[in-house]
Amino acid sequence: MSSRRFGLVVAVVGVSLVLAGCKGGDDGDGGAGAGAGAEQGGTVHVLLAEDFSHLDPAQGWDSGVSNLYRLLYRTLTATGPGGTDTADDIVPDLATDLGTPSDGGKTWTFTLKDDVAFEDGTPITSADIKFGVERSLDPRIAIGSPYAKTTLELPEDYAGYYESGPLDSIETPDEKTIVFHLDHPEPEFASVVSQAPFTPFPHEQADTITRSSVDTAPVASGPYRVESYDRGSSLVLTRNEHWSDASDDIRTAQPDEFDFTIGLDPATIDERLLAGQGDDANAIGDQIQPATLGRLNAPDIKSRVVSGMTGCTGFVQLDTSKDGMDDVRVRQAINYAVDRTSMQTAAGGPQMAETTTTILPPSLPGYQEFDLYPGPDVAKAKELLAEAGYADGFEFTLDVAAAPSSSAQAEAFQESLKKAGITVHLNSIDAATYYEVVGAPAKQDDAVLASWCPDWLSGSTFIPPLFEGSQIFDQGNSNRSMLDDPEINSEIQRIKSMTDVDAALAAWGDLDRLVMEKAPIVPTLNGNSVHVAGANVAQAFSNPSLNGNIDYAVVGLHDPDRG
Amino acid sequence: MAIPAPDTVGVPSGAGAPASGAPASGRAVVRDLLRRPGAAIAVGVLGLIGAMALAAPLLAGLTGWDQYSFDPSAIDSYSGGLPRGGWGGISGDHWFGVEPGNGRDMFMRIAYGARVSLAIAISATVLTTTVGVVLGTLAGYFGGWVDTGLSRAMDFLMAFPALIFMIALLSALPGGNRPVLLVLVLSVFGWPYTARVVRGQALSLRNQEFVEAARASGASRWAIVFREVLPNLRGTIVVLATLAVPSYVATEAGLSFLGVGVTPPTPSWGQMIASAATWYAVDPLFLVIPGAFLFATVVAFTVIGDHLKSILDEGAVH
Repeated sequence: MSSRRFGLVVAVVGVSLVLAGCKGGDDGDGGAGAGAGAEQGGTVHVLLAEDFSHLDPAQGWDSGVSNLYRLLYRTLTATGPGGTDTADDIVPDLATDLGTPSDGGKTWTFTLKDDVAFEDGTPITSADIKFGVERSLDPRIAIGSPYAKTTLELPEDYAGYYESGPLDSIETPDEKTIVFHLDHPEPEFASVVSQAPFTPFPHEQADTITRSSVDTAPVASGPYRVESYDRGSSLVLTRNEHWSDASDDIRTAQPDEFDFTIGLDPATIDERLLAGQGDDANAIGDQIQPATLGRLNAPDIKSRVVSGMTGCTGFVQLDTSKDGMDDVRVRQAINYAVDRTSMQTAAGGPQMAETTTTILPPSLPGYQEFDLYPGPDVAKAKELLAEAGYADGFEFTLDVAAAPSSSAQAEAFQESLKKAGITVHLNSIDAATYYEVVGAPAKQDDAVLASWCPDWLSGSTFIPPLFEGSQIFDQGNSNRSMLDDPEINSEIQRIKSMTDVDAALAAWGDLDRLVMEKAPIVPTLNGNSVHVAGANVAQAFSNPSLNGNIDYAVVGLHDPDRG
Repeated sequence: MAIPAPDTVGVPSGAGAPASGAPASGRAVVRDLLRRPGAAIAVGVLGLIGAMALAAPLLAGLTGWDQYSFDPSAIDSYSGGLPRGGWGGISGDHWFGVEPGNGRDMFMRIAYGARVSLAIAISATVLTTTVGVVLGTLAGYFGGWVDTGLSRAMDFLMAFPALIFMIALLSALPGGNRPVLLVLVLSVFGWPYTARVVRGQALSLRNQEFVEAARASGASRWAIVFREVLPNLRGTIVVLATLAVPSYVATEAGLSFLGVGVTPPTPSWGQMIASAATWYAVDPLFLVIPGAFLFATVVAFTVIGDHLKSILDEGAVH
């Protein structure tokens, strides 16, 4: 779930993590209200500000929609259920295990479980998974998670099922077995197949399931199907009768129905969740606003708070190709000058975010705590600027999404750099198109306020997209530091080719320090998530693998007849 | 939020000669205005807000805060950045309290925000009035193709969905000097409202006896326009301008509220109201204070404009 699409929320330090009664997050405890057992039945209401990006799993790639996909779709493997010990692990879903590598990690074989079916009752076969992957590789819809594209062995110019036909590198020797041939050894392939583009679709209906049909009429393989969808205002999910509880160790699927209300004002969502009247007693929603934090201490609300960590890092990317910014001393000076505490306060204080000086978030294995530029140290910053020839001050423009929390953080950043004689001009960009604009190097300014979340718990989904020279793209670029450093590039390649997974995880942590020595980025905050659940909501757990959002897969109601 | 469309600007009803005989003297009008209690209060309120705006840098020296500096000690970061103490953090240090989330001094932001609001509104008024009066007089006095061309241009601009176009234009334009851009955008859509009224007045004036007399005595057309017609429009122009200011203040606040006005961290009342919307339940004063200043400014200008209009409509000063 890179922040690419949902990034706004994260930039805002918005996605939430929850802890009441869950193991998600570091400080989870068995909270009463939100944690206790759920009964079968009822309708869970979800109050959201923004609509889901895409119902088509080939296209959606953000923490909000990934959570929804858990209800609609199943993949070979998936993130473990919130509130359990495996919440931040990848566990088998459609597959019986985490796959068997051969050929030095270049070939992976998975076996499907029995008793798995689509919403129309058709059993899910290996050919359906193959079709789903081939469909997702169509360049016209391949805007979601890119890992199928980057790991599978593909013919040159492969343009998806509809243009180029079936892929030779995915074999289906029988209905239950699927074999993937990869472009290079990939020790983390069990995590790769948890990504949404690996969602199966019935291959026998390949003529009716088109490029665009899935986005409006998805075929569910998970416990729920789309009953009705009114884009921008509501989405109703009802049970997929052909989903079998026995075949699924992740989803509890207690409610009979999920009812999403979309397009609400964030302040309205907070008020409704706090009041919890009528159907809102059965409601969960977006991360709450900083302004609401002060009201969470009331006894009847405190027990309904669900919090945790987002696992995302917020940062300011410094474009190393721009004049002035190409001098490492300038970038280090900015790192010295920044006052992270005031940015933290602007984002809502310690409950909403922790300050950070590293690129990797603490939730990633291999994370090392270090601070190369302890500060705010205005004197040191001024000294470095003077050495770089900017004794009279330095000026640059920062791109920022025009959303309240992003703007507040940007203003705090601006104010703290002013003390070191650095003038920051803010360029506010419409929040809806923010990541599109800054993803185009031609349009981005000297610096960009953004964030990144891991797609699974490994530095391989964090450092390469942000710092690898070969990952500078004309569109949808996330290496907004425009860093193309031979030393870092070769180190990334070296770690990617390591077959020892644990050693690789640790090596990403070392690389974090090496990157920070070149200061192409100013890490600022690790977001926390704070949600409020309705009084009748049970099993509301912040899942660290879903950026701290309340895991839809396990949420339910205490009393299904209420509300 | 209400963004009054520019056409809510009232216009003097008297479409004929503004005053029979010589125009009322400015001093007499002011004297008459101050004699009316409502108008006198409005003038007082505006005077205070104006003085606060002008003296903002002095006040900054007095309070020890400027409009940008954060005061982390005035807010409680554990409750999301809520101001410490009741009443939005009002204290001897911060006279109007502080902004939640960063502790910036509200009094200084209000004072500097007044500068922004008033400077933009008054500049836009000066610009639209100048352009509107010149073009309106020309159209009205000369008639013919000049009138046709200018009138169609006015019709076009007035029929245009101005607010939507302003939002689109300001979001599309890159950084640049925001206040100047705002003045230009407001003026482009504002001048026809002045010009239309002035044209109507000029049209009726050009057949008045004193204009005929000037024409008969051989005065040039330009001399007639600027020496005879224009001075007689003085009352109309003053009223139009007074009523235009509050509509620009409100429109600027509206645009800032929508995030296309002045860019942060420059303070602006509209922006403050926008960011206060999420805080109203826990820190109502953050919403009330800028709201009250915006309200007071708009009402005061409107009251003065209305009284001026009625004084000039009555034709003679008592």
